[in-house]
Amino acid sequence: MESGNIPVLTIVEDTIPLAYEKAIREVWEKGIGIRTEYDRPEDPPSKDATVMIAVRKPFGQPRFHRSFADGLGGLAEYVQEVVHGAHDYWVKPVEEIIKAVESQDTRWTYTYHGRLFEYMIEGEIVNQIDYIIDKLSQSGHTRRAQAITWNPKLDPPTEDPPCLQRVWGRLCEDGHGGFIFNMNTHWRSRDLFKAWFENVIAITTLMRKIAEGIAEKSGKKVRVGRYVDISDSLHIYGSYFREIEGDPEKGIQSFFEMLESRSFEERTWSSDFVKPYFIDDGIGKGLKKMLERENNMPEDVRKYIEDELRKIEDDDYVV
Amino acid sequence: MTIFEKIADEVQKGNSESVGALVTEALSQEMPADTIMNDGLVGGMNIVSEKFKNNECFIPEVLVSAKAMTVGLGILKPLLAEKNVKPLGRVVIGTIQGDLHDIGKNIVGMLLQGAGFEIIDLGADVHVGQFVESAKNENADLVGMSALLTTTMVNMKTVMDGLKEAGIRESVKVIIGGAPVTQAYADQIGADGYAADAATGVDIAKKLLDK
Repeated sequence: MESGNIPVLTIVEDTIPLAYEKAIREVWEKGIGIRTEYDRPEDPPSKDATVMIAVRKPFGQPRFHRSFADGLGGLAEYVQEVVHGAHDYWVKPVEEIIKAVESQDTRWTYTYHGRLFEYMIEGEIVNQIDYIIDKLSQSGHTRRAQAITWNPKLDPPTEDPPCLQRVWGRLCEDGHGGFIFNMNTHWRSRDLFKAWFENVIAITTLMRKIAEGIAEKSGKKVRVGRYVDISDSLHIYGSYFREIEGDPEKGIQSFFEMLESRSFEERTWSSDFVKPYFIDDGIGKGLKKMLERENNMPEDVRKYIEDELRKIEDDDYVV
Repeated sequence: MTIFEKIADEVQKGNSESVGALVTEALSQEMPADTIMNDGLVGGMNIVSEKFKNNECFIPEVLVSAKAMTVGLGILKPLLAEKNVKPLGRVVIGTIQGDLHDIGKNIVGMLLQGAGFEIIDLGADVHVGQFVESAKNENADLVGMSALLTTTMVNMKTVMDGLKEAGIRESVKVIIGGAPVTQAYADQIGADGYAADAATGVDIAKKLLDK
């Protein structure tokens, strides 16, 4: 492609870890070198591309890659943040968000759950996920079942505006009397190396929740289908290059050497392995610990997470 | 393979159940608790820490190993207390006031514990006064502060001032880290060390405390 054009990449894989590894390789090899707001002067320009990633079986096993910037208990808590609003109470009031960088209040300006489930417009709250469920329950073929996150008044002046922009879904018949829930997400910007994987675990858990909601509402059999993830800017920050390239002189191997030195099974975990760590990782994180630690969490959210915990403790529930 | 090597091996694999069983077995063979800790648990975590530094294992694996080590330490703790076994140092650690991100701090804490330090983890969004109070009350050798936001890292300077005001700055070392933090900022606020990453944090802690 002509210099100055951002590369466009397409990745199609069966499972999340396979797609994740392929995306890192592709963006590393084919991404354009370009600066971001977060690069420090001494960092090389980030690698960047517009990327569409399709995962045929988002709950296919092994579902978990071992390379991400948190522990399994922390990941479990993040899933609750996105799907059940565990940290909506960490968001600061609108009047503080409007002050943008002048605000001394260091609480967050948004959560994905807040924007998807409680989008504020003209003084009213709109539950966009309920809308998707209602719309697809009534007419599965609709192309209007979507939810947005961007708030054009609140987000532009903030330091960290939302990366996820839109969630879109549609039902298709599976040929056996049931339906498949297809979901696409659209992201403005994405840290591939340290955020993509956790984002996708959380957002596909939300995908399943929506599919369950449609099934319950419509009385139809609805299964989770393929998941498509589109990023305008999927990037590997320059500050991560040391980690990716390694340092042969110091005996530090590159990220790709690490991948090659292990079998795929040794680079991933199954949902069964992960499950106990999601409940309690033994070092202070996980759903049990979260409920113990976060005393200010609203009661209704606590109840959702307690329900989730019960489901996870049930052997039939795939995390 | 000795039982200590077996414990170290299971810590590396993150196999909590085996670590617990092997530590119990070692105790039943009348092995000293401090040797089980140092040669088995800490030995295993030192290897994990070294692998992490060399890009040979992933962050979640470090934490899975840490869980296994914690299971073993839990069994040994009362016996170590009875024998008055001292840790390498006491470290008060936390994410600075206003900052709710704690993963970096957690990894450093786990690696320090794995290296034989005692960790007093104050959690995330820790009030500046709480750092000072804990450092004083716990007779800490070291304070570790983490920040992920430019807006919150300024609170590290307030902790430094607080330690001076409390008259304990000379007796406690301070290490800072986190995405926006730099060596220049550490120098500017007078911190003793800057950790660019978790593994470096452990090396600096050992160096500052002559361990």
